[in-house]
Amino acid sequence: MNAQNESKRHPLAGKRMTGAEMMIQVLAQEGVDTVFGYTGGAILPTFDAIFRYNAAHESHQDEQIQLIVPANEQGAGFMAAGYARASGKVGVFIVTSGPAATNSVTPIRDCMADSVPVVLICGQVARNAIGTDAFQEAPVFTIMSACAKHVFLVEEPEDLECTVRTAFEIARSGRPGPVVIDVPKDVQNWEGIFKGEGVLHFRGYENRMKSLSQSRLPLQDSKDFFDLLKNSERPLICAGGGIICGNAANELREFAHAFQIPVVTTLMGIGSIDTTDKLSLHMLGMHGMVYANYAVMDCDFLIVIGARFDDRVAGKVADFAPKARFLAHIDIDAAEIGKVKTVNWSHVGSAREALADLLQHGKGFKKDFSKWLAYLDGLKQQHVCNYDRESNTIQTPHVLECLNEITRGEAIICTGVGQHQMWAAQYLDIRDPRSFLTSGSMGTMGFGLPAAIGAQTAFPDRRVIDIDGDGSMRMNLGELETATTYNLPIKVLVLNNQGDGMVRQWQKLYFGNRFSGSDKSLRKKDFVKTAEADGYAFAMRLTSKDSLKEVLKKFVEFKGPAFLEVMTDQDACVYPMVGPGLGYGEMITGDYILGRDGEENTFEKSANPIDSF
Amino acid sequence: MTDQASKSSNSQSTRTLSILVENRFGVLSRIAGLFSARGYNIESLTVAGSSETGLSRITMVVRCQALLAQQILRQVDKLPDTVEAADLTDANCVERELILVRVRAPEGKRTTLLTEAEIFRARVVTATPENYVFEVTGDSGKVEAFLDVVRPYGIDEMVRTGKVALHRNLTARTAENGETASPAAR
Repeated sequence: MNAQNESKRHPLAGKRMTGAEMMIQVLAQEGVDTVFGYTGGAILPTFDAIFRYNAAHESHQDEQIQLIVPANEQGAGFMAAGYARASGKVGVFIVTSGPAATNSVTPIRDCMADSVPVVLICGQVARNAIGTDAFQEAPVFTIMSACAKHVFLVEEPEDLECTVRTAFEIARSGRPGPVVIDVPKDVQNWEGIFKGEGVLHFRGYENRMKSLSQSRLPLQDSKDFFDLLKNSERPLICAGGGIICGNAANELREFAHAFQIPVVTTLMGIGSIDTTDKLSLHMLGMHGMVYANYAVMDCDFLIVIGARFDDRVAGKVADFAPKARFLAHIDIDAAEIGKVKTVNWSHVGSAREALADLLQHGKGFKKDFSKWLAYLDGLKQQHVCNYDRESNTIQTPHVLECLNEITRGEAIICTGVGQHQMWAAQYLDIRDPRSFLTSGSMGTMGFGLPAAIGAQTAFPDRRVIDIDGDGSMRMNLGELETATTYNLPIKVLVLNNQGDGMVRQWQKLYFGNRFSGSDKSLRKKDFVKTAEADGYAFAMRLTSKDSLKEVLKKFVEFKGPAFLEVMTDQDACVYPMVGPGLGYGEMITGDYILGRDGEENTFEKSANPIDSF
Repeated sequence: MTDQASKSSNSQSTRTLSILVENRFGVLSRIAGLFSARGYNIESLTVAGSSETGLSRITMVVRCQALLAQQILRQVDKLPDTVEAADLTDANCVERELILVRVRAPEGKRTTLLTEAEIFRARVVTATPENYVFEVTGDSGKVEAFLDVVRPYGIDEMVRTGKVALHRNLTARTAENGETASPAAR
């Protein structure tokens, strides 16, 4: 073995250690600085190995693996997800068997649906007890198979080390996603020789990843693309979450500016372009900006990058982008091409390289789209998002506008799910990618608080704000304490409209104002007392809008974890709204946003939605 | 659902899918799960080792329309354990199925039964005074035709392997795969 190979060799290679110790060594090798985890019977050896690893690195604290313990395993999962979404690194969470593993199903599925790279290590009962209905046994492989990008059950302890390395590789390669490793307790306790290198081989997957990484955009394809662009007068880019997880935001911005093509983003794509950029038309879709949706209706060439025509985006598929003569689609996942919409031009590959290639091949291409851009500027001014500014009750959009004046698009925003999430998407400026963390596809209430904890762990010095609803806050309320335990200076803003506002909105629209199960005005919960009990030195409730700006400023600038509850209008609805399964032509703009025909389009005029969604 | 693939608008047909996978724990349940999650019943399924060590070939017959089969195959093709996945329904391939069938064969009818079996090259693999057990190999058409012929005698019991299929030549396989399952490999 030559000197170079010798120096690459893991210093502990050849050393005898337990399976649990090997796993921690591989985590360290993968650059993991933080794990989120809850201990228990079947994972005890691994938690013990973390303790001993950190004790051995007492003098080099930057090499230690920080352990953040949540209140519930679901919290650990969303913390790992928040960490991964904010940093782009693989998030790691470690839980025990049985109930802990099943509590982890929701974040795993959430990560799958939003393409977030995480690795979950679950303890499992010992190999000889598997399948016997042992204490805290759950069929993790079967359950997780349907939810995760990949699942390993480690049956051969000799494979453990390589399995953990492979899990990281699968989680972050191609379209990222969650990988679960189910590790029986006796495999954690097994002793063997640490190799310090090696992965498991997946012939098909490796070939596909190799061809993906080599897949540059052929010159002819670029030529075809620019032919389409040349033949269009009203091009529009629709940027999705693929731009963000593919680290392609810079290329997207450069591309949009080089050819002067305006950009709408999906909910997951928020931050791919600076929302204050003059080419940005912000979010499209069910609750997208009115002008963004009009742009989609009017464009003649739609360029979709890293997005997948989700039903909340496309609505009635046949009516989506009705005037688009051409549709182009770039995605890293071949299965997304043509899944929902037939396209004229497609490329399977990373958004970053595809955009770089288009930029390179399109040098010298010129076409004047200024008329289209001027038209869109007009739409932007006319159909600006608005709400009841005269109301005596506090309107959530008003709170968000005031918050935006303080954060100026530079904070990491996490949200729960529901009305406040949509309003946050509409009213906040987001300047950078990985700064708007939200459960987009799964729509998991309770995502915001643990995700904020994870994001703050990844970026201790950045401002991290969890914008939550009272319903979403209740879901993972236990994690309030986790933030103070670790003195993570997250800001928790609860917009309390005393119930599940989005559900209430649908009940108003489609269920004759019967607020079954969604009204919480008689609940006894005192959120401020809860926060105080959990150690928040800043815990306040706001009921009047007079002091809103002043209190918000104090709240945001507070050193340390802070909690603010704002009592908001129970009856406000999110506008605009494209009813489920309807086309953009049937968008309701509400009482405060101007619709296309110059009038407000209200519920009374709305078409009946189809019941598919 | 979508503007090009909806369960109701397009007629369903029987698709023969061939999937080469790593021979690892749980692969079959994952692949079967992709079909069951969409409400499709698998009509037949065979899994066994392939010519390459560590790889197994799954041949699956499922009733669904071509576009949907293609969509599911693309999902199958994303699984780390999948090496390749293709729809062989319209491909130039050979397909076979093997059945064992116990047919009532009373004294007096035995000779005619054997004569008829001869037409299908069905072999008697075991016999009792009351019945014959035939082994028949062939494509679906031949196997069904044989069953039609022996049904009047009375079928007591039957087992079928389900269909297996293979491309007639290797070049056809690679050419078609490039289009059907792996656009990434373009």
